[in-house]
Amino acid sequence: MTEQQQPPASAETILRLRDIRKVYGDHVALGDVSLDVKRGEVLAIIGPSGSGKSTLLRCVNQLEVPDSGTLEVVGSNIDFATRVSAADLLGLRRQVGMVFQSFNLFPHMSVLRNVSFPQERVLGRSRDEADKVSKELLERVGLADKMQNFPQTCSGGQQQRVAIARALALEPQIMLFDEPTSAIDPELGLEVLSVMRQLADAGMTMVVVTHEIHFAAEVADRLVVMADGLIIEEGLPRELIASPSTARAKQFLSAITDR
Amino acid sequence: MEFFLAILSAVPTTLLVTFVSFALGAVIALPLVAGRRTRFAIVRLLSKGVIDILRGVPPVLFVFILFFGVGSDLIRWEPIPAAIVGLGLISAGHLAEIYRGGLMAVHAGQFEASAALGLTRTATFSRVVGPQAFRVVIPGMATWLISLLKESSIVSTIGVAEIMFVTNQSARSTGEGLLPFIIAAAVYIALGTPFAAFSRWLEKKLSFGRRA
Repeated sequence: MTEQQQPPASAETILRLRDIRKVYGDHVALGDVSLDVKRGEVLAIIGPSGSGKSTLLRCVNQLEVPDSGTLEVVGSNIDFATRVSAADLLGLRRQVGMVFQSFNLFPHMSVLRNVSFPQERVLGRSRDEADKVSKELLERVGLADKMQNFPQTCSGGQQQRVAIARALALEPQIMLFDEPTSAIDPELGLEVLSVMRQLADAGMTMVVVTHEIHFAAEVADRLVVMADGLIIEEGLPRELIASPSTARAKQFLSAITDR
Repeated sequence: MEFFLAILSAVPTTLLVTFVSFALGAVIALPLVAGRRTRFAIVRLLSKGVIDILRGVPPVLFVFILFFGVGSDLIRWEPIPAAIVGLGLISAGHLAEIYRGGLMAVHAGQFEASAALGLTRTATFSRVVGPQAFRVVIPGMATWLISLLKESSIVSTIGVAEIMFVTNQSARSTGEGLLPFIIAAAVYIALGTPFAAFSRWLEKKLSFGRRA
């Protein structure tokens, strides 16, 4: 077991969500959720399906627009009571990288192009510069030999590592992971978790929605349990997993650990 | 033999009308499909209305409206431009629906990934979604092109000297019934076959990475 590293208490808050509310029809997906994340912190969010954990994550980079609440990412402020401008939106998304459950690589581009193309468009890098960055990153995630392949010819674990490299290439301040291993064979998921662990060790700020309780216990600095659109519990991962204080968290944790 | 030569001499006109109206339709279909997908409800409704009209009116009637109706009252135009505009607009209606199907076939995750990466809408459509949708719409577009090739025969009714027009003329002037029409049918088939082959080739060429 690795030592859990706490970010220094003095670290700045890099992400601040306040009273984030999202309603679909008469279903309250998120009921006034507030959450702070410090620079360098790894936060894991667990909870049953429909608890709002993915919705919360998607609100951070505006794939879902909350009905109300405020969002502060690395200093830029967004109040959902007013309409978010396109410039603010692009500014926000440049700070935040996202990895999806279903990878969402571009199927018509090679692995290398998948990582280089967004750099050219978003950061204005030349093709050579972008390719150089891509190659370094793909080597780091163990895919140096797959650069010319198309995504469909790669395994799920490989595709997800490409997706991580693609997001990292844009030099985000925060990385969001939405159940990154749920669509992958357990064995291949380990490759992805190991890359995420490296990233955490390198000091990246990460918010990870996951069912991987061991990853949460070993890598996360803090664990949040959500149910019914609310944060019902939060604390140090191992303590929380060992002795949850609410009945709902206890029930959920025993369901995922006792298998 | 002279039927055959006469009919062959009309092939360029048929191809001109077919290709130019197809190209015109392929371009006009873009704003129509964009209109169907915009967040402004009025524009969506309007675009759908236009597409339904273009697809709902029989082509021969539509061309008559443009040539004899609009043509005699508002502007004077030659048969060929009227034919091209008429068939071009009808093509736009059909191609807009084909494009829409192509866009719907692109996985929603592609839009989300593009948004999350911070790509602009233009980059998302031109570089991510467009190329994927294009692969899906090739067979539909090829089918429409072949229909249009045949459909272009109706512009003989407004005096465009294409295959059907010349065939009709030959049949009438010689009193020969069957032969010129059979020859014309064979020419249409011979013209259409390469389109279908080209479509299959293009589809295969663009099937990224699935062969490897």
